[in-house]
Amino acid sequence: MTNSAKSLLQNPWLDLAARLILGATFIYASYHKIIAPADFAKLIYGYDLFPPETINLIAIIIPFVELIVGAALIIGIYPQSAALIINAMLIFFILIISINLIRGHEFDCGCFSVQSDQISDSPSFMLGRNILLLTLGIYILWHGMGHVRFFALTKQ
Amino acid sequence: MSGASGWNSLSVQAILLIAFALGTAMIVNQLSPVGIPLVGQWDLQEGIVHANPDDVLFNSRLEIDDIEVAKLIYDGAKTLFVDARSGEDYESGHVKGAVSLSLGDFDVHVEGFINRYPPEQSIVTYCSGRTCEDSHHLAQLLLDLGYESVNIMIDGFQIWKEKGFPVD
Repeated sequence: MTNSAKSLLQNPWLDLAARLILGATFIYASYHKIIAPADFAKLIYGYDLFPPETINLIAIIIPFVELIVGAALIIGIYPQSAALIINAMLIFFILIISINLIRGHEFDCGCFSVQSDQISDSPSFMLGRNILLLTLGIYILWHGMGHVRFFALTKQ
Repeated sequence: MSGASGWNSLSVQAILLIAFALGTAMIVNQLSPVGIPLVGQWDLQEGIVHANPDDVLFNSRLEIDDIEVAKLIYDGAKTLFVDARSGEDYESGHVKGAVSLSLGDFDVHVEGFINRYPPEQSIVTYCSGRTCEDSHHLAQLLLDLGYESVNIMIDGFQIWKEKGFPVD
């Protein structure tokens, strides 16, 4: 990597921009799920990958994890830890979407409420978006770790 | 901050964030009017699947859970079958003779429906199957309008078609 590319990637403004984009996306994503948890639960059921006893719990908890870590990223409270959680979630989302794409499983409940809630996008679109977001998440984590390493070196 | 202690610190902070999110989720879900129980009804054999069974069980007495019984009612030729799915889904296939009254466009089409069918008209609503509750909500709306005999074919159009029953 050239020095100019390195200095661009280590620019704190770029880190802030990445945090704002990722944080805002997660907060936005949580909104429709929080106002309609029953519809989100039905989408989780549609993945056909989770035990029935866990579906409601996932639908209750996931949107608030998205909201809290999104806000933490933007405000700057534990941003690296928030990015760590977001990356873990994105890897998990990418995995479950990929599994269903590979086995050709697509769920359409034919329900008016779920279709109009804007919480259901096409699997390929979700996969592409999540990979893009994961790139941002890895960058935020890497940027923070870079700082840690930088301070450690200067102390030696 | 060294590498190992850096990761430890990140992990502790991550656990704190998750714990805070977990607590907030449980409290908000408990207080929210759209909150759901911790366990839903996700067994197709038991009936329609839903995160909050109380939302749809209010009119479970109207359910016809045996498609053969629905077919007998249909063969009686006195009951109007009403399709609660979108107009698009209706156009691509529906129970033969059924009329469309999409839950999404209910307000737009309800007046025409009332003008055409009197309150004494016996009605069976349906949607796509046990994964949707639109037919339940439509049934309730029709009851509220004064229709006296409304039932719900919970197996929906999908099973009706699979059974080889009449479709348009």
